[in-house]
Amino acid sequence: MVYYLALAALLFAIGLFGVMTRRNAIGILMSLELMFNAANINFVAFNQYLGGNGMAGQLFALFVVVVAAAEATVGLAIVLLIYRNWRGVDADNVSIMKW
Amino acid sequence: MTDYVSTLSIDIGLIGPELALLIAAAVILLLIFTRKADRFATAIGLIGLVVSMVLTVRQWDVKVGGFSGMVTVDQFAVLFKLLFAVASGLTLLLAERYFHAKHIARPEFTALLLVSTMGMMVMAGTTDLIVIFLGLEIMSVPLYVMAGFNRRSLESNESGIKYFIMGAFATGFLLMGIALIYGASETTDLRRIVTDFSYIATNAKLFLFTGAALMMVGFGFKVGAVPFHSWIPDVYQGAPTPVTAFFSVAPKAAGFAALLRIFAYGLKDLGALSDVWWILAVLTMTVGNILALRQENVKRMLAYSSIAHAGYMLVALAVGGADAASAVIFYLIGYTLFNLGGFTVVALLETRAGSRADFSEMAGLSKAHPYLTATLALFMFSLSGFPPTVGFFGKFYLFSAAVKGGFIWLTVIGVMNSFVSVYYYLRVVKVSYFDQIEGRFVPAPLSAGVLFVLIVTAVGTLGFGLFPDNVLEIARRAIQAFA
Amino acid sequence: MEAVQPNVGFVFGLFAAIIITSALLVVTLKNIFHCALALIVCLTGVAGIFVLLHAEFLAAVQVLIYVGAVSVLIIFSVMLTSNLASRRIVQTNQNALVAGFAALIFGAGALLLLKLHDIWPKAGSALPDDNVMTIGKLLMTDYMLPFEVVSVLMLAAMIGAIVLARGERS
Repeated sequence: MVYYLALAALLFAIGLFGVMTRRNAIGILMSLELMFNAANINFVAFNQYLGGNGMAGQLFALFVVVVAAAEATVGLAIVLLIYRNWRGVDADNVSIMKW
Repeated sequence: MTDYVSTLSIDIGLIGPELALLIAAAVILLLIFTRKADRFATAIGLIGLVVSMVLTVRQWDVKVGGFSGMVTVDQFAVLFKLLFAVASGLTLLLAERYFHAKHIARPEFTALLLVSTMGMMVMAGTTDLIVIFLGLEIMSVPLYVMAGFNRRSLESNESGIKYFIMGAFATGFLLMGIALIYGASETTDLRRIVTDFSYIATNAKLFLFTGAALMMVGFGFKVGAVPFHSWIPDVYQGAPTPVTAFFSVAPKAAGFAALLRIFAYGLKDLGALSDVWWILAVLTMTVGNILALRQENVKRMLAYSSIAHAGYMLVALAVGGADAASAVIFYLIGYTLFNLGGFTVVALLETRAGSRADFSEMAGLSKAHPYLTATLALFMFSLSGFPPTVGFFGKFYLFSAAVKGGFIWLTVIGVMNSFVSVYYYLRVVKVSYFDQIEGRFVPAPLSAGVLFVLIVTAVGTLGFGLFPDNVLEIARRAIQAFA
Repeated sequence: MEAVQPNVGFVFGLFAAIIITSALLVVTLKNIFHCALALIVCLTGVAGIFVLLHAEFLAAVQVLIYVGAVSVLIIFSVMLTSNLASRRIVQTNQNALVAGFAALIFGAGALLLLKLHDIWPKAGSALPDDNVMTIGKLLMTDYMLPFEVVSVLMLAAMIGAIVLARGERS
């Protein structure tokens, strides 16, 4: 059990690192997917070990997959829009407005 | 097969308000094929919202759950749903004029706004973390698009991508938090967490705390609490102003609705979190106010101001208890009105060609638009918390609840922050009344819709300020749903 | 604990190694296209973990939606914004220190977890065997509302993507 949780926590940490260090918006998106997957491993692992009291964990994970797909769709649409306007998708360069 | 169907509790009446919005959005989307949607989109959207409001009000005395416990209709949900519908309707009226002036009017905008509002309603009307999460996503996904709706504007594009990245990042934290809470409690239903709380807290303390902390981070991003606020100024400034107005009130209210459900109801006995909320509240209001002092752009100033207001509202979560919770609901009602009103004036000024809504552009406003300036001044007084506006009573109830709870220092810091904020709010009033303008002030034409928005928000700001007890009573009734 | 059975432990270790390695590649590789490929490997590994946890339906969904749809979407975007994939440009920013610190906290948390055995009150009965059937029934009964609601989300995402990405209207 704890091995699954540790795996999920590590994956989450890697995703977190990726989101914060990537400059490319698509790269950030990929790191975000890692974070979502980490949460999903947790859901399914908990569900397995809590046993037959319901399938809430697996169903939640199922919804997360769908949500992730929806988010990726919109996110990539915005990325393409920016690319068309700017010819480059650097999340850090997207800051014509100052802090 | 049949035994499954028979146990199903489908009650369409319970989700009437949401369905009304969804149907209106669907009608608009279908009309796009007939190329008539441009003309009718706003009207259909408003009809949908009004129907939704009527259906919501009819639910006031109902307190039931349905759909296997996935939907909860109580007075808390009803009040928040009404608030979302009002904010959405006012935004729609405001947006029509602005989007035409900027040549970015598209019927899809109305549909997205309705779907987003529906997501908020779903979020407020449930005690199940799965549904809260899905509602949050339905709210957020259209918002990302709306932020980037001015497709040719680089700032709007940037606003969209930043909001998306931050929103998805927050979702990641939230999901991990919910996963741990689920692991600790074996359920995603807050009601069951409340029932089994002592058992959960002794058996899986570590997971409960970590999960709660991660959820705090997730919602902290959503409501713009410091240190998770860095996206707010850019997103608010870059998005089209009516969208910004909507951002600053509705998702924030939805975020607080979820926060109250989770932390003031589901995990209310998790005492140690109070200190964390304390720090978050103080940081949020102080950083928001201090950074707002330095802004030269009114829209950006209002963005920082909205961070500061989120800070005041977080006080309620630090204090806890029914008094603080009803105070924060009162605050949210007032804040929705006067903040929307303030943004309406800014949006109106921005419809003039070449305007960027800088402070300097406000000079000479009072000569060209005396009544408009008076309303603007009213909103600014309310934002900074002068009596007899609703802004004053919001802070008054909030801080008296804090004092009653023994949070003296928090109150002192909050009141000091309010004094700081007076400076930048009154600067708007000062510039528009007393500063000299070079050349002639180009007037901004009022439309009937914008006028209606201004009247509603101004009357609300003043009226709720004159009769605060009635509103507070309603907020109290809403909180009783938690008991 | 599952890990006591040697073969399951070995398979888990294999999948975990695949996931962690490919995830590290996703966040460190210079070429964004290679990152996308590493992501596919990682997501497939997660599907393997789901099978180990007796979530067969979810594993299938993971492969179909994540590996099949989302990854293809990402690769398409990478190719459409192609000058990023071909040229070697810096893909990371200066946040590495802060990010490393934040990630370290979580990583340390993860390793701490390994030390705490049996923090879990292990609950009783096993999950039902007919995974797909159970999920299907639940989706049509107890979880009908979330199921319908998530379709609204897909609708919203679809409209949003079309509004943003399609060409200018004449």
